[in-house]
Amino acid sequence: MIQVNNLVKRYGDLVALDHFNLEVREGEIFGLLGPNGSGKTTAINCMLSLLKFSKGEVKLFGEPMRPGNYSSKRRIGIVMQNVAVFNELTVIENIDYFCGLYVPDKNERRPLVEEAIAFTGLHDFRKFLPKKLSGGLLRRLNIACGIAHKPDLIFLDEPTVAVDPQSRNHILEGIVNLNRNGATIVYTSHYMEEVEQICTRIMIMDKGKAVATGTKEELKAMIRAGEKLTVEIFDLSDTVLNEIKSLSGLIEAEYDNQLLTARCVNESYCLSAVLDTLRRNNVGFGRVFSEPPTLNDVFLEITGKDLKD
Amino acid sequence: MFRNIYGKRILFSLRDRSTMIWTLIFPLVLGTLFFAVFGGIDTSGLLETSPLGVVNDEAFRQDEAFKVALESVSGEDGLFELHIFENTSDADSALENGDITGYVIAGDIPTLIITSDGISQTIAKSFLDRFIQTRSSIIHVIATNPAAAADLPALLAPVTFTEEITLSNNPPSNVLNYFYALFAMVSMYGGFQGLNTVVYLQANMSALGARRTVSPAKRWKLVLYDLLGGLTIQFACLVILVAYLSLVLGIDFGSQVGLILLTCLAGSMLGVSFGAMVSVSSKFKENAKVAILISVSMLSVFLSGLMVGGINYIIAQRAPIVAWINPAARITDAFYSLYFYDTYGHFFLNIGIVFGMSVIMFIITAVFLRRQRYESI
Repeated sequence: MIQVNNLVKRYGDLVALDHFNLEVREGEIFGLLGPNGSGKTTAINCMLSLLKFSKGEVKLFGEPMRPGNYSSKRRIGIVMQNVAVFNELTVIENIDYFCGLYVPDKNERRPLVEEAIAFTGLHDFRKFLPKKLSGGLLRRLNIACGIAHKPDLIFLDEPTVAVDPQSRNHILEGIVNLNRNGATIVYTSHYMEEVEQICTRIMIMDKGKAVATGTKEELKAMIRAGEKLTVEIFDLSDTVLNEIKSLSGLIEAEYDNQLLTARCVNESYCLSAVLDTLRRNNVGFGRVFSEPPTLNDVFLEITGKDLKD
Repeated sequence: MFRNIYGKRILFSLRDRSTMIWTLIFPLVLGTLFFAVFGGIDTSGLLETSPLGVVNDEAFRQDEAFKVALESVSGEDGLFELHIFENTSDADSALENGDITGYVIAGDIPTLIITSDGISQTIAKSFLDRFIQTRSSIIHVIATNPAAAADLPALLAPVTFTEEITLSNNPPSNVLNYFYALFAMVSMYGGFQGLNTVVYLQANMSALGARRTVSPAKRWKLVLYDLLGGLTIQFACLVILVAYLSLVLGIDFGSQVGLILLTCLAGSMLGVSFGAMVSVSSKFKENAKVAILISVSMLSVFLSGLMVGGINYIIAQRAPIVAWINPAARITDAFYSLYFYDTYGHFFLNIGIVFGMSVIMFIITAVFLRRQRYESI
């Protein structure tokens, strides 16, 4: 569906995309994950032929993507990071306008517009002007304008920025439904939870480069760190802490603020060993938490920095 | 596709409050103020018929010459609106009530009764003095040289050594230029429509531009249909202003409705294309573009005489090139020549220049807008 080879994009001396490669297969929800400024939006704009690039090749639907490639453009839907609607047109007028750029026939367009309104839950707001909508509803309108013409390939560039949790869930469910209905989706975000939740394959980007690509399981398997343990302990002596640190399968352990945190090696489960050590040394403990590794851990281990930075 | 882009553009423009304020509401208010302030200037120097009384006593009834002389200068377009009173007390009452400016009592030497000074009273006195003087001359000529009586009409006829002719279709007006400059200002404000089209079509200017650029709608269709929508609204605003001033306020702009509409269309095209060109050819933010647009428009309109009457003539004499390339001055001059000149050469020269400028600016806009890929967004 999408084939990007050795894409290089420079802004003066800054290399925004550095020999960037990407392949998206039909039917995927492909996540581009990376911190702000990692090159996600630049990559999308190059794929859409909005940005000139210094080097490389972009193919959509097997054809080179150019500004005049209208047959490919007809099959694409785009949901921008910034809300792109007319403030002076109502919800239904906006959706009808953008759908009309793809589907000129009004009779053919009408059911598509209604479907998009139903899909995004905007039925009660169809006559509202955008300024009367909340942030979440505005984002939904932004999505409706991008998907009303039923595209085969949809680019969603951070569609949940500044959205309340309820609208965010609605949007994420909608994206999954679009995919179920046959659309291939490219989804960019710097929220790892969202990407983990909906994407079938993920690319982690940093400084214009793809640092890792795979399913979330494959990505997590790439790193050494496994589950993270947190145990509430009133008082822990250095002797016991050192004993815990010496346990096999444990990468690190530290005690701070009445919390013991320990990181296990990937694929090894050391919860029972840690608790046994505490019991054996008569150390009382409260609640115990165990978390599997996250994409942030993957990003942290690969790049040496936090995804949220 | 056309109906969708064009129709929504019309809707969008009608609901765009700031554009409608600048291109419709503000000009209507300004036009009304112009009318209120300047409305009487053209007629303030003209003499008005003043109400003058005359006592219909025996002397007046007998004095046929005085009656004829008085009636000859009275009536709708005359000096006086005659009020006949049967006695002096009625005339005094009318004078006291302000119904008349004075009254005349006939006799060998007619007497003018007034209670205050003023132009009307001075005119009445001048008329009476002239009548007394003329009658005295006639009596003297007949008494001393009866043979010359036959030549009296020719001798007493008023002789003028100048002839008043008009060079224009209509009487000169100092006020109309302000309204023409107002039309030019509204035309230039059409730049907002052009600016909107460009800003919302360029991916590096707005998210809307990016969304429209990646759509499969052909670029030239998006630009053309959108500009046509903006032009329609701009033209409608200008026509509404002209119609309001002429039909509601009664300002006479001439009877060549077709050519007035043509001038409105040319002015609208000029404004829209100007805004589009300013917007497309500069890399500033939208607010900066608006500031440039307003500044250039106001300078252009200032030089065409909106704020200082007659400055357009000074510019035309001292810097004719500036006058010829000033778009607002061409629009003002087109309206002016349409109203005052009895030939169309000057009018069509102006219209040709306005259309020519518009076409050049549209071409520049089109060249820039062809670009769909940007260095940065």
